[in-house]
Amino acid sequence: MIPAPRWRKVLRDVLRNPTRTLLVVLSIAVGVIAVAIVMGAYGIIAADLPNAFDATNPAHANIRMQPFADDLVDVVGRMDGVADAAGRRVVSVQARVPDPEGPPGATTWQDLQLLVIDDFDDQRINIVRPESGAWPPDKGEMLVERASMAALGAVEGEPLTIKLANDDERALKVVGQAHDMNEVSLAITGLASGYITPDTLEKLGLDRRYNEMLIRVAENADQRSHNEEIARAVADKVEKGGYTVFRTSVPRPGEHFLEQFLSPMLLILGALGVLSLLLSSFLLVNIITALLAQQTRQIGVMKTVGASAGQLTRMYLASVALFGALALAIALPLGTLLMNALLAFVARLMNFNVVTNRLPLPVVAVLIVIAMGVPVIAALGPILRGTRVTVREAISDFGAGSTVFGRSRIDQALESIRFLSRPQLISLRNTFRRKGRLILTLTTLILASAIFISVFSVRASLFRTMDDAFAYWNYEVRLNFARAYRAEHLAAVALEVPGVRAAEAWGLRNVYRVRPDDTESDNIRLIAPQPDTKLLNPTLLEGRWLLPTDEDAVVINTDLLDDEPDLRVGDRMVLNVDGRDVAWTIVGLVRSVMAGPYAYTNYPYFARMVRQVGQADILNVALEDQSPAAQTAMALELERVFEAQGMRVVGTETTAAQRDQVGDQYGILIAFLALMALLLAIVGGLGLSGTMSINVLERRREIGIMRSIGASTPAIMRIIIFEGVLIGAMGWILGALLALPLSRILSDAVGEGFIHSTLTWTYSLGGAAFWLLVMAGVAALSSFVPARQAASLTVREVLAYE
Amino acid sequence: MFWSRSNGAGSPISTNGVAHAAPHAPRLIDLRHVVKNYATAAGAYTALRGIDLGVDAGEFVAVVGKSGSGKSTLSNMITGIDRPTSGEVLVGGVAVQQLTEGQIAVWRGRTVGVVFQFFQLLPTLTVVENIMLPMDFCNTFNEHRHARRERALFLLSQVDMQMHADKLPTALSGGQQQRIAIARALANDPPIVVADEPTGNLDSHTADAVFHLFEQLVAAGKTILMVTHDDDLARRATRTITIADGEIISDRPNYAPHAVVDDDVDDAILLGDEELRLA
Ligand SMILES: Nc1ncnc2c1ncn2[C@@H]1O[C@H](COP(=O)(O)OP(=O)(O)OP(=O)(O)O)[C@@H](O)[C@H]1O
Ligand SMILES: [Mg+2]
Repeated sequence: MIPAPRWRKVLRDVLRNPTRTLLVVLSIAVGVIAVAIVMGAYGIIAADLPNAFDATNPAHANIRMQPFADDLVDVVGRMDGVADAAGRRVVSVQARVPDPEGPPGATTWQDLQLLVIDDFDDQRINIVRPESGAWPPDKGEMLVERASMAALGAVEGEPLTIKLANDDERALKVVGQAHDMNEVSLAITGLASGYITPDTLEKLGLDRRYNEMLIRVAENADQRSHNEEIARAVADKVEKGGYTVFRTSVPRPGEHFLEQFLSPMLLILGALGVLSLLLSSFLLVNIITALLAQQTRQIGVMKTVGASAGQLTRMYLASVALFGALALAIALPLGTLLMNALLAFVARLMNFNVVTNRLPLPVVAVLIVIAMGVPVIAALGPILRGTRVTVREAISDFGAGSTVFGRSRIDQALESIRFLSRPQLISLRNTFRRKGRLILTLTTLILASAIFISVFSVRASLFRTMDDAFAYWNYEVRLNFARAYRAEHLAAVALEVPGVRAAEAWGLRNVYRVRPDDTESDNIRLIAPQPDTKLLNPTLLEGRWLLPTDEDAVVINTDLLDDEPDLRVGDRMVLNVDGRDVAWTIVGLVRSVMAGPYAYTNYPYFARMVRQVGQADILNVALEDQSPAAQTAMALELERVFEAQGMRVVGTETTAAQRDQVGDQYGILIAFLALMALLLAIVGGLGLSGTMSINVLERRREIGIMRSIGASTPAIMRIIIFEGVLIGAMGWILGALLALPLSRILSDAVGEGFIHSTLTWTYSLGGAAFWLLVMAGVAALSSFVPARQAASLTVREVLAYE
Repeated sequence: MFWSRSNGAGSPISTNGVAHAAPHAPRLIDLRHVVKNYATAAGAYTALRGIDLGVDAGEFVAVVGKSGSGKSTLSNMITGIDRPTSGEVLVGGVAVQQLTEGQIAVWRGRTVGVVFQFFQLLPTLTVVENIMLPMDFCNTFNEHRHARRERALFLLSQVDMQMHADKLPTALSGGQQQRIAIARALANDPPIVVADEPTGNLDSHTADAVFHLFEQLVAAGKTILMVTHDDDLARRATRTITIADGEIISDRPNYAPHAVVDDDVDDAILLGDEELRLA
């Protein structure tokens, strides 16, 4: 059926001004897209990740212990509360990989854990799935976790050289890839994973027995405390059987370890998404207000022929809903596209397969409500006001006086300005003519500017914090030795090497905390620097640093505090070191940088405790040249020197490499934030161009008059562009100021969410300058287009009565 | 009937068959002591100073006066576009000043057709759609799917504009647009048509043709109040009211406007309208 004339009018008004329609539709679309990306990605991750994760039958508890065999697995499997148990062996080795920073052909060692799987086709817990190539691997062959392929430089069908703990080097043929969601992603830990059969293990000359017990809890497995209880019962039982338990870990049940990292990120992104939606509705208010002002006469005529205010309100609301529907038509496909890009990114980071690639239906429903509802709500005020005008006000040449220039104090101040040229004065006064519109446009620009600059500031703050944090590792290369050597000798050898500034032998152990209720924590690195160490510059947050006279004192870092939130400076804490429980006093708290939980203690006490007095297996070396290239080169050189003296080096680490790794993790966050800042920048740009095009549209008559009294095309364009640039400049200045507090809030939130301490706040002047350039471009462009359009109108066209 | 195909959907007051009301009958338009003050920067300004005016069904009233004398203000009182500061405006027995803004819109849509000086056709609607719009708003002439369009085309044929039915208004001349505006004013078959300087923007020849349309309307039983600056045209109405400074200073009938009716019949025959001959 042909719609009634009034609905035809609605439709044609929307179509008649394609520029305006496009602006409105785009600005709604950008807001909806932002929400779609975040909500869609969140919805899909929330649905797919637990599904994918659950499908691997993840262990509810993981017990590392002395070697054991199937008989113990059976015993544990039959225990009350245990649904299933499995044993497996995990072997830490190193793999020879091409060195990306060294000269061509150079190699370096990459940490690799080999997981031994009894029967690849009958796995019950922490299930590893085939990805490509052969399955299962034969004797002498291995599969590589798909996310580890690149780091290992592995190629299917090619051999990989591995180095065992006893320094034997062996070759294993990589025959395929596996997918294992239960191993912490390489992107986060830098640890690669490979999979072999027990036969291969035997061939490597290693003990066939298990060293890790995986447990599935029977009931209430979603309660971590219950799982901890069961794990403790199992540990007690096996210890009674004469096995030493090294470590028990009970992960958050049913939750992938990266989920907690994802939540704060999505929260921040969500907030930005909602903000861009809000700002895009400002533009809508401006455009609808202008549209109604433009159609006042038509409203009057329609009322004269019998239209009620209600009918008119419905008509204009319908056109807004139409804008919303058009925006939705853009936002759904584009939002899906961008969401999938985001998902691909997250999936790579978290090493899981995203099954869903469409916006979940509930999200689509929400988006429909948002796309139609937010514009309708935003436009309701202007529409109600616009359709309530009386016919007399609408038809007469009197009335509509509130927007006439010259009434307010700002106007009077502007009238008193004398130093500008006449056309510049027109620009200046025009800028302030529609104050409501100016306020909304400025708000959009200010917020977009502030957030853009804040994102850059968060980035600067993150890197500054990282610099600070890495500055406390005042050394560049760490050498790990196969066994303990005399500490003084290690340092002396290193100091002989040209380019070495300082060298200290330290102690290091992986330990765990035994809590007052006998449960155990995850791994903690216990680091024992020399008492008067020059190689550490800790950032103390609480308490004090170690004194040379301290004995059983430890300083903990914020990551440890986050894992074990009951710890306080001054408390006692029990750490299990080499199988023995030792009590310590916490004397201080230092900031960490996503380095994991650390505790520091004095070397002499540590050495006595681990019965290696005067000896150490770690050497930290400070270099004169601290460039990444020099660090890599010196690591090789030092390794060579020590090997030449018969001291075996099992691994080297450089702070440059570590820094890259941490930087990559921040990079992900920054990339997301930048994406959102970009969306906001688009909203800001649309807001400004929207305002400029309505300004020009409204002033067509005036422009015609100026033309008829002799204004040239460039003169008219200058007047309009000057106005756009003026608004842009105000937006930038105020936004740059607002970024001062805002960037601080954002960097605190990011710090709290990601490294559990505040960042060292830095205002990014570079970001502000960059945004100034963007803004100048946007302002010039968004006023240039309407200006040129205006200047191309003939006098007859603009003065002709509609 | 001529002009109207009224079937009850139209006005609350039917003019069908009423040619000239008896003097003692209640008046169709009745203004009593109407005063209108405007608040201006220089204080209150009185645009109408106690107007008393009665108009009977079938009259053709011309309102003349100098610019600023209050002609438009007076016509706005009758159309309900503006409200009196004091006094009463009774149109067809309805006290217009007592209706709410929303009630006025509905009442006006069915009772008073308004014609403006600047035709005021909606630019995004075609000619025929412009005429259908009042029926759409007032929900009239909906007995079948094509009723509105048929009526709109009929009205267009009455103003000799049917060949422009599907054009946009901007493609037409001022005189053509004004004819269409008149057709639109008649869309809901209102008994009264109020026109504020409908010929003010037209050349004398076109103005004459448009005026002629009004004469035909009167002949068909409509009541017309027309504001004009053109004394020659005013004399062709049945009655001329002169306003100065917000007061009626003269109100007199015009004689021998009847030759016009004959013209009417000729024109109508030219148009080939059968109903017209019945008039
Ligand atoms: N909204 C208003 N506010 C203030 N004064 C008004 C308003 N509307 C009309 N007036 C004043 O009332 C007086 C009558 O105005 P009106 O429009 O009725 O004159 P008019 O006779 O129609 O004149 P014209 O022939 O120029 O159309 C004028 O002096 C006008 O200035
Ligand atoms: Mg007037």
